[in-house]
Amino acid sequence: MEFLHSPIWIDIENWPLSWEIGGTSWFPFLESIHVIAAAMVVGSILTVDLRLLGLAARRYSISTLSRELVPWSWGAFVLATITGLGMFITRAASHVVNPAFQWKLVLLMLAGLNMAYFHFRVYKHIAEWDTARATPTQLKVIGGLSLFLWSGVMLAGRWVGHIV
Amino acid sequence: MPAFLTNLGGLIDGSSLQTFALWALREIPGFPPIIQTVHLLGIAVVMGTVVMLDLRILGLAVRSQKISEMIERLLPWTWIALVTNFISGGFFLFARPNRYFNNPIFGWKLSFLIPAILLTLFFHLLSKTQQDYWELNSQRLWAARGIALLSLGLWIMVAMAGRWIAYSEYIYFPAEALLNSLSLPWTA
Repeated sequence: MEFLHSPIWIDIENWPLSWEIGGTSWFPFLESIHVIAAAMVVGSILTVDLRLLGLAARRYSISTLSRELVPWSWGAFVLATITGLGMFITRAASHVVNPAFQWKLVLLMLAGLNMAYFHFRVYKHIAEWDTARATPTQLKVIGGLSLFLWSGVMLAGRWVGHIV
Repeated sequence: MPAFLTNLGGLIDGSSLQTFALWALREIPGFPPIIQTVHLLGIAVVMGTVVMLDLRILGLAVRSQKISEMIERLLPWTWIALVTNFISGGFFLFARPNRYFNNPIFGWKLSFLIPAILLTLFFHLLSKTQQDYWELNSQRLWAARGIALLSLGLWIMVAMAGRWIAYSEYIYFPAEALLNSLSLPWTA
């Protein structure tokens, strides 16, 4: 893991933008937007995940819920990524070696893979279960994993601040 | 901060409630970030319920869902999330009451939170008095839109102010903030 100790991370910390964010109220401003965006990612995907588990909003089809809610998750995710990068560059070198930050990235990737598996593999058979009130086990696993992984992303993200 | 709140802070300071909260935060491994994540998940539920309802009323989200159905399905979860957030937030509040009850940003948080709760309660209770209360005619619908806009702003500001509490110490009490960061690393 040579690149974790590369001087590039220190260079990033020394960008004028990094100094501007880290030394002013921009940092707490970005952080509060990051928290709201992250809460929106989880808040909007929560209903879809609970529907996949067969626990909530059963009167709506899975396709309707994901069509109307997942764009909110993506929009909030983009906002969280931009604000997150803004905070990351102020302490890039310490973040890349921070175990909580590393866990956060791994959990994010797993959450992304879980979503991709659902949309590209499982979604093809949507006609079989779109309106079913009791969902098949495969969907329950995907919905449960999504909730678990996103909560893990939040926990790891919050833990980052306790280690740096 | 109003005097009764700073007095309340003084009342909790030194109580067994404080002893318990401090014990939990200091002695249970990982408790501060875990309980903060529970608090964040509560905020996520607020976003997914009352904020999503506000966005629906404003015509911005989940248009296939009916407003009265959403109120009935989602708002009970808003209340559950708020109760859990009172508990998770309570650990930090009771552990260092003076830190919060003398903190102007915490005062801001309360001045957004209390109207947000009252507005949501008012909106929820009126919806129970009549079938489709907020969709019955155009006046009701416009009133609902006004309330939704206000509610959306208030809930966003509650979350914003909450995150700024930790920074306000550096603005208002720089010397104390430095001392605390040395002795209580979990406060950041």
